[in-house]
Amino acid sequence: MREGTFAPGRILVYLVVWLIAAAYLVPFAVVVLNSLRTAEEIAQTSMIGWPKQLAWNNYATAWADFCVAQTCAGIRPYMLNSALVTIPATVVSTLLGSIAGYAVSLWRFRGDRWIYGIVTLGIFLPQQMRLLPWTIVLRDIGLTNTLTGLVLIHTIQGLSFTVLFCRNYYIAIPQELIRAARIDGAGFYRIFWRIVLPLSPPILIVTVIWQFTHIWNEFLYGVTFTTGQQQPVTAALIALSAAVADIPQHGVQSAAVIIAALPTLLVYLLGGKYFVRGLTAGAVK
Amino acid sequence: MSEAVPAAARGSPPAALDLLRRLPEFLTIWVPLLLSAGHLVSFALWTIWVSFTPSTLVPVSGWTGMRNYTAVMATRNWQIAFDNLLVFGCGFVLLSLLTGLLLAILLDQRIRGENVLRSIFLYPMAVSFVVTGTVWSWLLNPGIGIQKLVNGLGWTSFRFDWLIDRDMAIWTVVIAAVWQSSGFAMALFLAGLRSVDADLIKAAQIDGAGPIRMYRRVILPTLWPITVTVVVIQLQFAITTFDLVRALTGGGPGIATQLPALVVYDFMFQRGLLARGAAAAVLMLLILLAVLLPYAAWRYVQHRQAAHA
Amino acid sequence: MNSISRRTMLVGAAGLFAAPGLSRAQTVKPRLTVISQWSTGSDGAAITALGKKFEERGGTWEHSPVPGFTTEMMNKLRAQIMAGDPPACSQLKGPEIAAWSKIAATVNLDALVAAAGYEKVVAPDLARLHKPGGKWISLPLQIYSTNMLFLSKRAVDKANADKIPVTWAEFNALAEKMKAAGVTYPIANGGTRPDDGQKFEAALAGISPAAYRTGIMNLDEKALKAPEVKAAFAQVRKIADWMDPNTAAQHYSINLQRFVAGDMGMMIQGGWAQGVLLNAGFKLTDFIIAPGPSDNGKPVFLLNADAFIFWQRKEPDLQAGQTLMAQLVMDPAIQTMYSQITGSIPVRTDVDLSAGGWSDGQRRTAAALKEAVAANQAVLSLAHNMAQENGMTAAMIDVITEYVKNKSITPEQAVARLSDAVEGAR
Repeated sequence: MREGTFAPGRILVYLVVWLIAAAYLVPFAVVVLNSLRTAEEIAQTSMIGWPKQLAWNNYATAWADFCVAQTCAGIRPYMLNSALVTIPATVVSTLLGSIAGYAVSLWRFRGDRWIYGIVTLGIFLPQQMRLLPWTIVLRDIGLTNTLTGLVLIHTIQGLSFTVLFCRNYYIAIPQELIRAARIDGAGFYRIFWRIVLPLSPPILIVTVIWQFTHIWNEFLYGVTFTTGQQQPVTAALIALSAAVADIPQHGVQSAAVIIAALPTLLVYLLGGKYFVRGLTAGAVK
Repeated sequence: MSEAVPAAARGSPPAALDLLRRLPEFLTIWVPLLLSAGHLVSFALWTIWVSFTPSTLVPVSGWTGMRNYTAVMATRNWQIAFDNLLVFGCGFVLLSLLTGLLLAILLDQRIRGENVLRSIFLYPMAVSFVVTGTVWSWLLNPGIGIQKLVNGLGWTSFRFDWLIDRDMAIWTVVIAAVWQSSGFAMALFLAGLRSVDADLIKAAQIDGAGPIRMYRRVILPTLWPITVTVVVIQLQFAITTFDLVRALTGGGPGIATQLPALVVYDFMFQRGLLARGAAAAVLMLLILLAVLLPYAAWRYVQHRQAAHA
Repeated sequence: MNSISRRTMLVGAAGLFAAPGLSRAQTVKPRLTVISQWSTGSDGAAITALGKKFEERGGTWEHSPVPGFTTEMMNKLRAQIMAGDPPACSQLKGPEIAAWSKIAATVNLDALVAAAGYEKVVAPDLARLHKPGGKWISLPLQIYSTNMLFLSKRAVDKANADKIPVTWAEFNALAEKMKAAGVTYPIANGGTRPDDGQKFEAALAGISPAAYRTGIMNLDEKALKAPEVKAAFAQVRKIADWMDPNTAAQHYSINLQRFVAGDMGMMIQGGWAQGVLLNAGFKLTDFIIAPGPSDNGKPVFLLNADAFIFWQRKEPDLQAGQTLMAQLVMDPAIQTMYSQITGSIPVRTDVDLSAGGWSDGQRRTAAALKEAVAANQAVLSLAHNMAQENGMTAAMIDVITEYVKNKSITPEQAVARLSDAVEGAR
């Protein structure tokens, strides 16, 4: 079974898996094809189809030219904003999550089960319920309409996921290791630095991938808590499709979607291997 | 449980000094956790409070009793959304689980190109929900997508018009959602498959077990804990899914694919009826509790059993 | 020291401080913070042009477009208001103006409106929306009609039609003729919520504008159960049956190609569809525009008007900016520029459209508005949130869109559901 002893069975496996893979690639192919068609062509033929001519300039327009009201700088400035929000929020929430996960699973303290339960229940709280409360909080601490405010929101909300992932990973580390280290006199930080962190790369990568993807692709908070030139790239993408007195600019929009999706795609391509590895070895309970 | 302070480390510094020394550690542990838990609890409480006020455009004080709840539950939007959540929740979680498991088993066969295949199945997770919903709305549209393609290939009686069928439209959401997140299930299952104890497999092989028996008796039972995690993550996705449905069907045709998260957003922000939206949100949380409490209770019982074993 | 006494010096010093103050009051540079949903397309171009005019008059223009549709813009507005920092000016329209004016302080524009004589040139039903509580707090900028009839030239030729339909009966007859002549789907409308709403309001207002007014605008219980409403639903069923079922909930722009090619015959759309057709690469000769069907022969105009509302700010430069913006919005030259870019018609009824730069469709629309106002048949659009606040509109559109998509709902049931929805949302 694991070593693949029967040939016809293996051919079947290859066939099935590549067929499914092709099906999975179809949506991607549609967007790529549309990114090379002009809006007129799409309006005059159909949403799905082969490009008549390759409209490469869609990419140039999407990157540097298309106008969002009076600013015609394409998607470039918004990509920077997204990066300014996503990278800090991902790094901080992952770091804090791993420390908290370690504290809850290995260090242990009074009330750890309770606080862990509440924090991770947070993954189920829908975004709509948090929009107005965050408005009030940001107003009270004076961070309305700043990228910093957005980073704060994503960091605190991300903790629910990062603590969940890290705790479930660390729980597999034998308690004896920790106990021995404590007997040797090691404290909270020393144990984290010397024992837990070196074992962490797989789960840290999982957490970083998850957080990066969700924060980068997030729309609701990005639009509500920033203005004008500070908006993240998801806002610019929506701007391309929401004109009333125009046909939706599907060609340029598809090109913009591809460009905006490149960072997350890259993160998955590079980290995919570790993604699986990070979930191995009793990763989840 | 307070930790046992190792005897060797116990010197004779006074308690106050000890506490001071441990302060940074205390803060490091508690501040992030309290911020997270604090914001969750306070936001939930705030929403509950708003659901009992006459708030429309902005939150105001006042007491309206259960009026918002009865108003929301009387709307067809909510009733359809609730039914859809059951269908979508069960259908999506089950299908995503099975697809992920199937893909993991296939990829576990030591085939060539495993890395590429794994990336292909994982990458939909990297795509934003809005894009997924939009592209699938084109693919599933009978006039421009799959049905048109198959009809064009010669099979003219082929029909795949779930998107415009009021009864089947919710399944189009399932399809798009499974595409988006089965990769995660696959990754978790693959990790689990690869961590099955090799000795158990050897033993089963020696006993002459065929591949199917091997899976049933040895491998699948080991995957149980992972399955639980997959279910939890997929459940979270099912309950909070919002952008995907909005982009795919807009809640339609008509209001046939309404889901609770959409109803909350619709009432709170599009209709300017904050209190009603908050009531819908609280109802959503109650549904969630109804699902999670039995699970938590079961885990608690398990935990007690293990402690007393 | 010579004859300059201390007192003189003090007076002189005070003068030094006073003078800049005086000149500051006289030359404070107007500044305006604006939010709107108009980020791209002709809407984005129009508001950008308006911004340029603002800056030409010496102001600083700070427009922050909120991508998405009106809900996203209103979310942003709400967040700003709750944060105590409302924009000096924002897009808003319809009865929402009255609703939002209760949650934050607005600017009283009566003096500016009187100075520009604006009230005389605005349709009364429209003006009413912008002065809740009797004072002007917002200014309408452009008007669209939501019930224009678009006919495909090729489909009309196929059906050998001799005249453009004026009443619903003629409309139905033409649709049948088109179908018989080989036009696969006589109706090219889309399936979005506003589109479904447009079908219903065009039907009801065309059958009886008075019934529309009492039922949909005033929400009179008896009027909502009147036979005209049932007839309107029946007409909507006819329209829905003539549509391509594959349209589902899509935007009508996916049907444009077949519409122009003659495979689909007619569309009931807002005036903006002309701009959409032209931007998609089609030509004015591909289609005909006429006023929507009206059973009593006189044009019925379903109004959709965008407006700007002004929020109270303490800063003098923002206040100067608000004054400047109000003057610009009421200016006929600015309204001409704006409408020529977006394809709407100006709010002012005294703008002469026979000059260059206007399309025939716009001229026809403006003429229809004038006639409709004179015959008291200019009503507010339900589908575009002009007749009711968003909550009520959404509840009614829920019923209408379900009716359109579900053929098993009879007109009688639809009428009952509509009444229930209105009661539930009151």
